[in-house]
Amino acid sequence: MKDENEFTGADILLKALKDQEVDTIFGYPGGAVLPIYDAIFGQNFLKHVLVRQEAGAVHAAEGYARSSGKVGVLLVTSGPGVTNVVTGLTDALMDSIPIVCISGQVPSHLIGTDAFQECDTTGITRPCTKHNYLVKDVSKLSETIHEAFKIASSGRPGPVLIDIPKDVQFAKSKYISKKDISFREHRIKAGSKNVDKNFVEELVNHIKKSEKPIFYVGGGCLNSGHQASHELIKLVNKTNIPITTTLHGLGCFPGEDKNSLGMLGMHGNYEANLAMNKCDLMINVGARFDDRVTGRLDAFSPDSVKFHIDIDQSSINKNVKVNFHTNTDITLTLKEINSFIDSNNIDFGGKDYSNWWGQINEWRKKECLHYEQGDEVIKPQHAISRLYELTKQRDTFVTTEVGQHQMWAAQYYKFSKPNRWITSGGLGTMGFGMPAAVGAQMANPDSLVIDIAGEASFLMNIQEIATAVQYKLPIKIFILNNEYMGMVRQWQELLHGSRYSESYVDALPDFKKLAESFNAVGVRAKNIAELDDTINEMISIDRPVIADIWVDKKENCFPMIPSGAAHHEMLLSKYDKENPENQEKGKVLV
Amino acid sequence: MSSTSVYPTPINAFKQSKRSVLSVIVDNEPGILARIVGLFSGRGYNIEALNVTVVDVKKNLSRITIETLGEEKVISQIIAQLEKLVPVHSATNLANLSESYEAEICLVKIEFENEEQDQKILNFADIYRSRTVQKRQNIVVYEISGTSERINKFLDDLDTIGGIKVELVRSGPIGLGI
Ligand SMILES: Cc1ncc(C[n+]2csc(CCOP(=O)(O)OP(=O)(O)O)c2C)c(N)n1
Ligand SMILES: [Mg+2]
Repeated sequence: MKDENEFTGADILLKALKDQEVDTIFGYPGGAVLPIYDAIFGQNFLKHVLVRQEAGAVHAAEGYARSSGKVGVLLVTSGPGVTNVVTGLTDALMDSIPIVCISGQVPSHLIGTDAFQECDTTGITRPCTKHNYLVKDVSKLSETIHEAFKIASSGRPGPVLIDIPKDVQFAKSKYISKKDISFREHRIKAGSKNVDKNFVEELVNHIKKSEKPIFYVGGGCLNSGHQASHELIKLVNKTNIPITTTLHGLGCFPGEDKNSLGMLGMHGNYEANLAMNKCDLMINVGARFDDRVTGRLDAFSPDSVKFHIDIDQSSINKNVKVNFHTNTDITLTLKEINSFIDSNNIDFGGKDYSNWWGQINEWRKKECLHYEQGDEVIKPQHAISRLYELTKQRDTFVTTEVGQHQMWAAQYYKFSKPNRWITSGGLGTMGFGMPAAVGAQMANPDSLVIDIAGEASFLMNIQEIATAVQYKLPIKIFILNNEYMGMVRQWQELLHGSRYSESYVDALPDFKKLAESFNAVGVRAKNIAELDDTINEMISIDRPVIADIWVDKKENCFPMIPSGAAHHEMLLSKYDKENPENQEKGKVLV
Repeated sequence: MSSTSVYPTPINAFKQSKRSVLSVIVDNEPGILARIVGLFSGRGYNIEALNVTVVDVKKNLSRITIETLGEEKVISQIIAQLEKLVPVHSATNLANLSESYEAEICLVKIEFENEEQDQKILNFADIYRSRTVQKRQNIVVYEISGTSERINKFLDDLDTIGGIKVELVRSGPIGLGI
């Protein structure tokens, strides 16, 4: 007998996705997901983007999520389909990006028999997801999917995987809608909704007392939503406190504002790292004291009282011991700080921290991002500066690959809004940027989306150009072509006596012809005279473009805290010599 | 003067290890044990003892007790990460509670050859108040419970009797805070 209220597992999945307001899914078909692909065929609310390799699907979902604030969704088949997304899941876990990955599995009765394209999906992905499920009973499918979306986007966001055996995709059950599901609180771990009043009061009192305060803002601020940035800007304007952001915090506070010290950390600004080192009050807003930020731990900001706002309690006191902390959401906490200051009419005694700013302006005089652009060879820093100048009037989204170009992008491209900067920080995944640009362009069809790339990274997921062409996504791939794995070469130069072992990228393709063969457009700048025209041409073309920008092959990325050194022991140029003792210690670190 | 090592010593390589007993309440579902164990194995930490049993059938809850050796800072980090796992309700280091009780159970099968051995075994069994589960001509099975330390001592004492064969199983410590 046919029950009108029963649906196949595949249909339940689609109903749940619709319920979750998913409109885009990145995927690649295979035997174990054919019933789901069949269901996709017969509907029109969900746009499926066919990638060219599953790694592309997961990075595209990350780009989509980061640029839209929504959950990114992907669909892959069993076995190799799943193992191809392991890197991306790990990437999303490290960088707190909400994605849901649906994977097909061999039929239930074949699990554990070494069936064709079987792998232990939940086993392989357990350490690289926030949570994962193997759904063996179709009646549990609806609630599993809704819980997965809730977990992916709550508290500290992250990737969640749902493995669905093929027989479960065919089996029938009732559909339970999102509104009919009550979540169990201990499983969602959304963080406290109650603002810690004591924390707020202590913080305001410390700000009043402080002579040298600083805000240290990370990706948590981004994940808390746009409102968090608004509250942060209000608070900084009220207090005139300097602010530095991590790689992922870029855009949470306008990069060109006078209070911004720019990015801190290994390739951060001199003034930002020095201010972190010398401050007496550090207010950490959603950052995790990453080793790329702290430098050698025993010398990190020795004289400061530290406040930490982070929804993830396992980030508190992990690397650096703090004096005060709260696990409540950043937006709620910042809002309360602002209203506490307003309602108590606290003015900071006309405090404008003029001595502190005086000191900071001294550090700024070092002009740590200075470079000499000659009149022939393009300096990579200059290429990014020009790209910024020629695109800043638009609402531009920038993704990156991993290497020197990524750090130059972080240093020379300025962001004024959150979610415009999409990069692989925690894992440092080469090949991230182009598929992430595909995802960002899907989420923001009318915006300019640029992948700032290195030629070596770009080759890691080059196949996704075809995806961009198929869906008419006019992404721009801006390659700083130095013919080297530049960042590797730089470390070899600094730490391994300039022995450039395997870091030269020989036999590079002709990127212009390569673009043409994919039916994309290739442009090239070989010298400084061609740079602006090439950038303008790239922007003006309403199709995917690969811009091959030939840059100085031996340029290094400064400033730099060499690994093993303290955060105030920065190298500002290649003429700066490193402390040899640190160098030996640094060699064993990453 | 001490000579210089030919290899640099990574900083913080040698840290003090301390015994900890962790008590974790979880939803009783597939994969949860693997999730928990992964937090130890991924760090190269060994689990000395492990006990998993359903403690609330209606609410489908299990209690997992884990004995491990590790640096205090790392153990706190593991606890914080345990609490982040979706099926975990709570995670506690029993050492951090002001009052907690710990017990372990051990079954020991002893094969002996002569009356002198039998007497000595009986004597220890009496001192440690272990319960006789079964006794045949030359085989006796005892059940002994208490702290792990108490059981260790009993086993050490048995060891002093030469020529007997001992086979045993231990539950690992379980504990409860008050
Ligand atoms: C998948 C992966 N493999 C290896 C590395 C190590 N790695 C970091 S940067 C880099 C070189 C990147 O070269 P390129 O993309 O040309 O960028 P450049 O540094 O030259 O700007 C390598 C190999 C990595 N981050 N990711
Ligand atoms: Mg390169």
